[in-house]
Amino acid sequence: MDPSGQNIVLFRAATVRYGRLTALRDITLEIPCGSSTAILGRNGAGKSTLLRAVLGWQPLTSGEIRIGDAHPQHARPRLAYVPQRHAIDWDFPITVRGVVEQGRYPSLRLFRRMGQADIDQVDGAMQELGISDIAHRQIRMLSGGQQQRAFLARALAQGGDIFLLDEPFAGLDLFAAEELTHILRNWEAQGRTVLAAVHDPAVARHCFTRGVLLDTGLVASGPIADVLSPANVDRAYRREHCMHESRARPAAGEDAQG
Amino acid sequence: MSLHDLLIAPFSYEFMRRGLLSAMLLGVSGGLLGCVLVLRRLALMGDALSHSLLPGVAAAWLLFGTSTVALFFGGLIAGLLTALGSALLSRLTRIKEDAAFGSLFIVFFGAGVALTSRLPTRLNLADFLFGNVLGVSAGDLWLALAVSGVTAAVFVVFYRSILLETFDPVFHRATGGRGGLVHMGFLTLTVLNLVAAMQTMGIVLALGLFLLPAVSAYLWCDRFISMLMLSIGLALLGSAVGIVLSFHAGLASGAAIVLCLGLIFIISALFSPRYGAVRSLWRGGVR
Repeated sequence: MDPSGQNIVLFRAATVRYGRLTALRDITLEIPCGSSTAILGRNGAGKSTLLRAVLGWQPLTSGEIRIGDAHPQHARPRLAYVPQRHAIDWDFPITVRGVVEQGRYPSLRLFRRMGQADIDQVDGAMQELGISDIAHRQIRMLSGGQQQRAFLARALAQGGDIFLLDEPFAGLDLFAAEELTHILRNWEAQGRTVLAAVHDPAVARHCFTRGVLLDTGLVASGPIADVLSPANVDRAYRREHCMHESRARPAAGEDAQG
Repeated sequence: MSLHDLLIAPFSYEFMRRGLLSAMLLGVSGGLLGCVLVLRRLALMGDALSHSLLPGVAAAWLLFGTSTVALFFGGLIAGLLTALGSALLSRLTRIKEDAAFGSLFIVFFGAGVALTSRLPTRLNLADFLFGNVLGVSAGDLWLALAVSGVTAAVFVVFYRSILLETFDPVFHRATGGRGGLVHMGFLTLTVLNLVAAMQTMGIVLALGLFLLPAVSAYLWCDRFISMLMLSIGLALLGSAVGIVLSFHAGLASGAAIVLCLGLIFIISALFSPRYGAVRSLWRGGVR
């Protein structure tokens, strides 16, 4: 990795519109790699859209996003995605190991079976997250924290260094949330980049070092304490009456949170 | 009745051999497809899709007679029109996909019934809907072989994409997967299989050959691959027993197969040691 400051996720005037609705407006922003960043804002503020844009599957209406010096679609091997808990069918016939192995699928070509290197990577990811001993359990049979760790392990097994998490704290109990905080802090200490959509400012303050506050446009970015200043929070969360754009319904696919 | 009379004698008839072979071939592909239908909660959509084939098949019959190829393409076109039409409607209007599908398929089905009432003979509607094993021609058998082979090959080659798209479509997309393509391919395969199963099973009952083994296997398995394998196994078992039953009891073949599979399903739903109703009640309550 390049330490000179080249290694960043860069937004330059990035704008996304769904029809007449603006989901992200003119975002110019640098997110340094090797840190953990919370993406904050109300429902419909553009958190999920921003994550999808970094993943390269939400085309921008204008502007650009660069990861390092690459277009998101060319940076895919560096990216690992962890979906929201409620997007998963926990009754699916699959074991913990089955989930983690999926992390290797994108890098396997058709007809190629998992090699020893892939298996080692899967084992390593499960070991790091302490789920090796429950590898053969069906995923419904896990606690909330174990379920979250299985999906974090899948992301690790992908072998990327930038982790995109969509509302990782939603639906976790207190203990599991504390566990997740611990894991994410550890990842940051190891130089991994974490970008997470978070709707609760208190959780973000507790767990992330940097923040990006959205209100379709960029309200603030930087160290989390500065971003979540009372004035900024007020601007982003409480001025619905004078924001004609925030009156519009949340963008399609923007997640209900609660 | 000796074992020979029970199991071997029925297959001294050519039509019985063809019926059995056709049902078992489609059991393989139907068992595979059914798993995805069940896991993606598309079971009812499959039902709607099967009904919507009727006008295409009837129109082909009116225009080209009993040609297998014509019937096949007629059904395929009607099915794809319904699938694409409802996808378009749900995107371009405020109607949600289930309502769009429900409305379109019933219109198609009505048109199909209207068309079949114009057919030269009276018997045909029941054959279309519920199957007639006596009518399985060599052409139907080749069609079943081709469709079953293609379906199985697709599952072998694209196993990982199918698993990802079924389990976690967002992750699949995030890793560069072509979700839309997999979905459309899947719908096409479903229509292909429904059309191929029409002669033996009928378009209404064909879905039973797809869904029932899959939903039974779902009640037993904790791995996707074992669910696929068990589903195929149950589909083979149910179609073989069903065909024999239809011979001895004088039942319509499709109905007999669906009844056998239904029995397997009910036993699974009640007595599956991990996910059955009895265990659930035994342990105190509904989850």
